[in-house]
Amino acid sequence: MVKIFVVDNGGQWTHREWRTLRDLNVETKIVTNNISFDELVKEDINGLVLSGGAPRIGLNETLGNIDEYLEKANFPILGICAGHQYMAHFFGGVAKPAKKPEYGKIELIILKEDAIFKGVPKKSIVWESHNDEVTKLPISFICLAESESCKIQAMKHKNKPFYGLQFHPEVEHTEYGELIFKNFVKLCKI
Amino acid sequence: MFKAEKFIEETINNLKKEISGKSLIAFSGGVDSSVCASLVNKAIGNNLVAVHVDTGYMRKNESSDVKKLMERMGLNSRFVDASKEFYSALKGVDDPERKRKIIGEKFIRVFEKVAKKEKIQYLVQGTIAPDWIESGGELRDTIKSHHNVGGLPKDINLKLVEPLRDLYKDEVRNIARELKLEVSERQPFPGPGLAVRILGKANPERVEIVREACFIIEDEIDKSVKKGKMEQPWQYFAVLLPVKSVGVHGDRRAYGDVIAVRSVESIDAMTCNYSGIPHEILDRISTRITNTLKEKVNRVVYDITNKPPGTVEWE
Repeated sequence: MVKIFVVDNGGQWTHREWRTLRDLNVETKIVTNNISFDELVKEDINGLVLSGGAPRIGLNETLGNIDEYLEKANFPILGICAGHQYMAHFFGGVAKPAKKPEYGKIELIILKEDAIFKGVPKKSIVWESHNDEVTKLPISFICLAESESCKIQAMKHKNKPFYGLQFHPEVEHTEYGELIFKNFVKLCKI
Repeated sequence: MFKAEKFIEETINNLKKEISGKSLIAFSGGVDSSVCASLVNKAIGNNLVAVHVDTGYMRKNESSDVKKLMERMGLNSRFVDASKEFYSALKGVDDPERKRKIIGEKFIRVFEKVAKKEKIQYLVQGTIAPDWIESGGELRDTIKSHHNVGGLPKDINLKLVEPLRDLYKDEVRNIARELKLEVSERQPFPGPGLAVRILGKANPERVEIVREACFIIEDEIDKSVKKGKMEQPWQYFAVLLPVKSVGVHGDRRAYGDVIAVRSVESIDAMTCNYSGIPHEILDRISTRITNTLKEKVNRVVYDITNKPPGTVEWE
């Protein structure tokens, strides 16, 4: 059984991420973001999801112990919303208040095919809820998707299995959300 | 994957271990509290006392229907009419968070009174995941204090039992179907009831207005669903707004209240889209509300907000 933990950054949908993984028969648990990397390694996990949350990434220097996970992990990590913004911030990108924050129903446009979006059409409906966004991509990342108001909706590390999504694949209203999670689970099995 | 049958078996076993003595369940008659009552009843039998409180903010005929439901479910039940106490506690209050906290505390005080009299130590609540998620705490922001979580007083002297904490509504409905409960498809109704559907002061006069408007919306939509004219929405109700607008009634000026029609689609309340109610049904709702409540309401509007950015209820 694949084992993927959800790191809680205080999101409204952290528990939904847990539920989506559980429904995909993944062994999963919600953990606080100050758990040490050693403790995670001891659990022998295959992947990690960094949840969204109320903290304003562009305005905060650190987020729990997440630096340590991003520095040391060789397993896949999926950052969602605030988790995605923090990932960009850690690798030298910029996250700051969005000129046009997005809430609710938005059209996602995939720019580059990738394993994480396998089976997802070029244009699909996703659900958003963010005040901040990634405005500058870290040089070690490539952009995978955009929306009309937010140019970096999805990104991927060039050499590591790290992904960031600004939208929320865990909620029922995101059209291909479960498929994106399935794709992530597959990446964790490799 | 979530399996209702397995959950029922495990939960009943755990409840037998967790509870030693008498318990009280806060019974609203909705899906969550009915499932909870049924599970705890299977675990400890008549040591469970089901208490329904008429807060004065229930829907039309709701409390008397719930009374009958408790009997049909074979529960050892009590009924408390606390409407006067709730009205006086909310007098002059218009802040939504204060309303929710006052109601949360009032509920507990009513339960404590029953518990003391009947020597009960445990309080069973049908709390589900969105209740504690939205109530916030630590890293998580408070979206709204659900009466059964964020609205609980700190000095509560009953031990809490919440067997459905990790579930969402669709999963609770699965359990309800498995248990063959008649309420399995009932639409959600918040604990603070009509008090959070009256923006501003929730006094008895305004309760009457929103209660009738809620009844009309439910009745019209239920009829249309039966006729196959629309799908059953996830939740549908009226909101009484704190603004007035000008109208014309029989060549005379009218100046009255505004009702918003809210109807949403969801499976778990964590994200919702507004329902596309056909115009002919909206027409009937609008005409019936303004004609029935002619002294009070002269305008009806339709809420077309998704969640996020909105929430299902307005407060």
